[in-house]
Amino acid sequence: MDDIDAMFSDMMQEMDLLTQSFEAEIVSVPLPKPSSIPDPQEMNFSIGFTDLNASLHDMEDNDLDALMADLVADISATEEKFATDRDAFKGSAPVASIPSQPQSNFSLQASADTSRPATSFNSIAAQPPPPTSTPSKEELEEQMKADKIKLALEKLKEAKVKKLVVKVELTDGSSKTLMVDERQTVRDVMDNLFEKTHCDCNVDWSVCETNPDLQTERGFEDHENLVEPLSTWTRDTENKVLFQEKKDKYEVFRNPQNFYLWKKDKKSLTDMKDKDKEQLLEENFCGASVIVPDLEAVLYMKEDGKKSWKQRYFLLRASGLYYSPKGKTKASRDLVCLVQFDNVNVYYCKEYRIKYKAPTDHCFILKHPQIQKESQYIKYLCCDDERSMTLWVTGIRIAKYGKQLYDNYKAAVRKAAGSATWANRTIQTSSSASTPSPTPKAKAANGHAPQPAVETKGPGNQTSFPEILPPPPPDPMLPPPLSAPSSTTNVNKIPPPPQFPQSSFPPPPMDDMPPPPPPPEDELPPDFMPPPPPSLTSYGGAAPPPPPPPPEPLSSLPPAPPAPQNFASAGGAPPPPPPPPPPPAPEPAAHRPPGTIRKVAPSPPQRTTAQLTAPSGGDFMSELMTAMHKKRGQQ
Amino acid sequence: MAAWDLNVTVEDLGPDAPPLQISVNSDLHIGGVILKLVEQTNLKRDWSDHALWWEQKQQWLLRTGWTLDKCGVHADARLIFTPQHKPLRLGLPNGATLKMRACFSSPVFRTVMGICRVLNLRHPEELSLLRPVEEKKKKKDKDSSEELYDLTDVPLTAGSVQALYNGMPAHFADSPKTEAVYKMLSVSLPSPAPEAIAKLYRPASVVDKTHIHTRWLDSSRSLMQQGIQENDKLGLRFKYYSFHDMDPKYDAVRLTQLYEQARWAILLEDIDCTEEEMMLFGALQYHIGKLSLSQDVVSSCQGMDDLESALKSLEVKMVGDSNSTDMLDNMTAPELNDYLKIFRPKRLTLKGYKQYWCKFQDTSISYYKSKEDRCGEPIQQLNLKGCEVAPDVNVAGQKFCIRLLIPAPEGMNEIYLRCENEKQYSQWMAACKLASKGLTLLDSSYQSEVQNIQTFLSMQRSSSAAPTAQTDDSINTHSLVSPRYQKKYKPKQLTPRILEAYQNVAQLSLTSAILKFLQIWQALPDFGISYFMVRFKGSRKDEVLGIANNRLIRIDLGVGDVVKTWRYSNMRQWNVNWDIRQVAIEFDGNINIAFGCVNADCKVVHEYIGGYIFLSTRARQQSDTLNEELFHKLTGGHEAL
Repeated sequence: MDDIDAMFSDMMQEMDLLTQSFEAEIVSVPLPKPSSIPDPQEMNFSIGFTDLNASLHDMEDNDLDALMADLVADISATEEKFATDRDAFKGSAPVASIPSQPQSNFSLQASADTSRPATSFNSIAAQPPPPTSTPSKEELEEQMKADKIKLALEKLKEAKVKKLVVKVELTDGSSKTLMVDERQTVRDVMDNLFEKTHCDCNVDWSVCETNPDLQTERGFEDHENLVEPLSTWTRDTENKVLFQEKKDKYEVFRNPQNFYLWKKDKKSLTDMKDKDKEQLLEENFCGASVIVPDLEAVLYMKEDGKKSWKQRYFLLRASGLYYSPKGKTKASRDLVCLVQFDNVNVYYCKEYRIKYKAPTDHCFILKHPQIQKESQYIKYLCCDDERSMTLWVTGIRIAKYGKQLYDNYKAAVRKAAGSATWANRTIQTSSSASTPSPTPKAKAANGHAPQPAVETKGPGNQTSFPEILPPPPPDPMLPPPLSAPSSTTNVNKIPPPPQFPQSSFPPPPMDDMPPPPPPPEDELPPDFMPPPPPSLTSYGGAAPPPPPPPPEPLSSLPPAPPAPQNFASAGGAPPPPPPPPPPPAPEPAAHRPPGTIRKVAPSPPQRTTAQLTAPSGGDFMSELMTAMHKKRGQQ
Repeated sequence: MAAWDLNVTVEDLGPDAPPLQISVNSDLHIGGVILKLVEQTNLKRDWSDHALWWEQKQQWLLRTGWTLDKCGVHADARLIFTPQHKPLRLGLPNGATLKMRACFSSPVFRTVMGICRVLNLRHPEELSLLRPVEEKKKKKDKDSSEELYDLTDVPLTAGSVQALYNGMPAHFADSPKTEAVYKMLSVSLPSPAPEAIAKLYRPASVVDKTHIHTRWLDSSRSLMQQGIQENDKLGLRFKYYSFHDMDPKYDAVRLTQLYEQARWAILLEDIDCTEEEMMLFGALQYHIGKLSLSQDVVSSCQGMDDLESALKSLEVKMVGDSNSTDMLDNMTAPELNDYLKIFRPKRLTLKGYKQYWCKFQDTSISYYKSKEDRCGEPIQQLNLKGCEVAPDVNVAGQKFCIRLLIPAPEGMNEIYLRCENEKQYSQWMAACKLASKGLTLLDSSYQSEVQNIQTFLSMQRSSSAAPTAQTDDSINTHSLVSPRYQKKYKPKQLTPRILEAYQNVAQLSLTSAILKFLQIWQALPDFGISYFMVRFKGSRKDEVLGIANNRLIRIDLGVGDVVKTWRYSNMRQWNVNWDIRQVAIEFDGNINIAFGCVNADCKVVHEYIGGYIFLSTRARQQSDTLNEELFHKLTGGHEAL
């Protein structure tokens, strides 16, 4: 028993360190690597800024607001979760007042190994509440202890979730800054961006990465996770994340005949009837296995390490990219495999005629996503014209992602249709600030639903979210300080569909829900505090509802980004004076080379790391707070 | 009306018995003839399955209500009174031969339905019967050595719904003998010996492939009408490459037999594939073979997935319930620690392997100068997440290397780890493999991964030592690839290649491995094309017509290239001129083609096209009953009208 006690208090201490590291992670500086091989897990970045302080100053005011709101919403979402659990519990058992009882929902997650997705929450949800018959005292204690530990593990897990602050460039040259959680898919991030940019949400929008070193560009697929590829960028990278419309992203689903019947003459392709297009899609994407377009053509290939480009006859197969060697037939058995697609991505290239003396500018490369510089492991290919390049790149994407691509497209179409519906609705309700602001967390949960393939990646608490969502937040009980008027109206008008994939206008209604009303903090025993640092939580609690800091009179201007407002209010976090700053960090910014990427990800839960980075955390937070303060002062 | 004598041979009286002579008149209907006949035989037995076969006209007299006059039977007719169901030797897709009763009087389409019902194969419309390749008569009678499964005692039930008993249809559960038959049907057979593959007929060209399809039986006529005799051998195969509604839960036999057909198509080079694809097929075959051996009949396929999900939920439960101390234990990941030799190939260096103390933790390897230094800073830490792992193993040469390609911004870093022995190798290899996928040693698949690698190594050992020995857990890798690759690679060269591919599939369950095999097979560019030698109207040379489930392909024999593709969706109509045996097809945009068949009956081609169009109507029809009438309408030709 004593052992366990001791262990437990140890654990709790550790937890606290970790919680602090939640702040810390924001600025934690990557330590110089002893080796030439960077360890992506240990590099912490944010994308697109020269350094943190600069980035703070750089940020648009509303960016800052949004970011802050993101943070707060994040926290309050977690709080909400805990609160809901506890409330639920309260109703059923008298022991509820004991702080350490929200357990049942956490057990699984806490015990599951971090790298493995927590399998299912249903099993836990089904777990009955503790027996109403009062358990014996020892049992209770035992239970409490176990629960505490579970809770601690839960916190630990939450703290491990990697988050990045990403600066996304828009086509008009401006940029948006948002926080991306490692569990979020590109789809989630785009949904988020739709809210922030008020674009038309059509299916062509995509998040792209560019690499100026290699002069490449690639659109992320909707099901991909954004954090993972970004965290493999080097620290001094000039890579960018763009948000733009890419016509060929889903062109294959609009005009499949151009890809699957590419050999036919142009006229018959343009005259294709919709019915035939549908049939083509059905044949190629809905069978037992996805059929890859039967591309074959002479392409130029840059030989490994050489400057010259050689012509070869290439063929695309589901299993990889092949060419037929000189003097051989193009029979399958004679083909030589250039590359298989498991470990590589395909990238469009720019101006390779100048850079590599390519025969044309229509080049694409295949490389492992982690390779960022010129290397012999990159396969360089060059096509005669743009159409051919689009054919090959799309063909390779189909071979690599298969049916997932089609699912992505269908989800995107639903989203686009949904947003149209939504737009109509908003006009009807004429509620000005109606565009809901998303909570990243809820977004993630939404995004996961229609994409089972990705679902496994989301750690447990992500999946748990929908369970909490369906019943709208108990407004009467927990009145959200200020946000209520605008968002609740929406909620009422449009009944939130509990499940996404089927609904015709998916995310919008959900968007309203997530910014959950902050739980009454006074009832929250410290044990419930999830990873977010106690200091942060106190914002919400301590905040004597001063009006949220709306930079503009948002309520009358629909196009104005209402995000910050909603966030702030929903989170109940009108920023109070900065929290008592923890011991100052050893000036993190100074270490960082210009053009740095900072990672907002929590460092791995090692005690050492936590201790190391903890102090710097408050720094960033206070920095943020000051910045926001300043801004408010300006108004 | 005058009475006349009719001669009828009753088979049941023995082969030498003279025909019975019965007195009839032209008004007598067939039923009456049979009645008279049975009375005259004086045999008491069940005659219900018997019917009259008119030998000269090669047709059955099945309408008992018709009079002899109406049937056109006169005194010169030689009739035979014979059972409609007779035993048939059926060559199954898996190569086994099964003796069972089939209907010789109904159209082949319905006969196949009956056969499939007994075998528990859903969607019989996808299968058909074909004549076997004429085997050259050899001196030794090979049939005696051939293992024969027998289902002739199993009655043909009319009911379509099969009750399951012990996980198999009730009629298989009668005796151990029939249970063995079901096992043969539903569990894939062990890989054949390489010599056996090499001995079988392989089509060497597209022209050879056209011969296969000349052998299909006509679906609208009966077996007897097509000259098939009792105890003849016929092949049962999936004819149309359009597999509707495949459900592992109900399709144990169908899935297995389809897999077997695909496997043989690949082994016998019926369908071309690249070397990489062949290695993956080989790996999957190995995996499926291994899992099939360890399965008992009952739990196979059907129970398997349920069991797996049950295990999974159990696992979750255990994890959830485990007490806190366990959970803390779980938080500290296990490690591997050992001396390994490391080699980093670089240009212009001759440095070889150097020994380091290596620690495998989470997803990375840290190495130190020696065991004593292990507490300090490692010389280097390699994070294996996202890296490529390849084996470089030679059991005979006692070489156990792991080749790592670790991605870095500058490119890939190539590193070799050399292990001392199999045990060490399998542990580290498994760890590397998991780490490349971002999993740690904690992952539940670690132990099975280690085991998989060990069994595979032992396979290499035994195959290099005694290439012909076939034991349960070791097989010759030569039996996993087509003869072309048997010639190209020695087993010890082949094994590492297959092992490499095997790593990506080793975690699949039996059903998913089979599905994966079928999936890759169906993704091959030449999948599902049946070839026919034809001569197009107005052309002077023979060309090849390929028929697939959605299109027709014209192939130039000289070049071997696809000249033209027509899709069914653009097809207006097609018809057959039975007098000149010519198929004419009209497509949208006034495109007309016409061709005659060179080596196959044009009924076969006609049936193929109609069959695919029939199959494409299935998706729209929700009911499970087969629209037999529609099939015959689409495929029957003039006989059906």
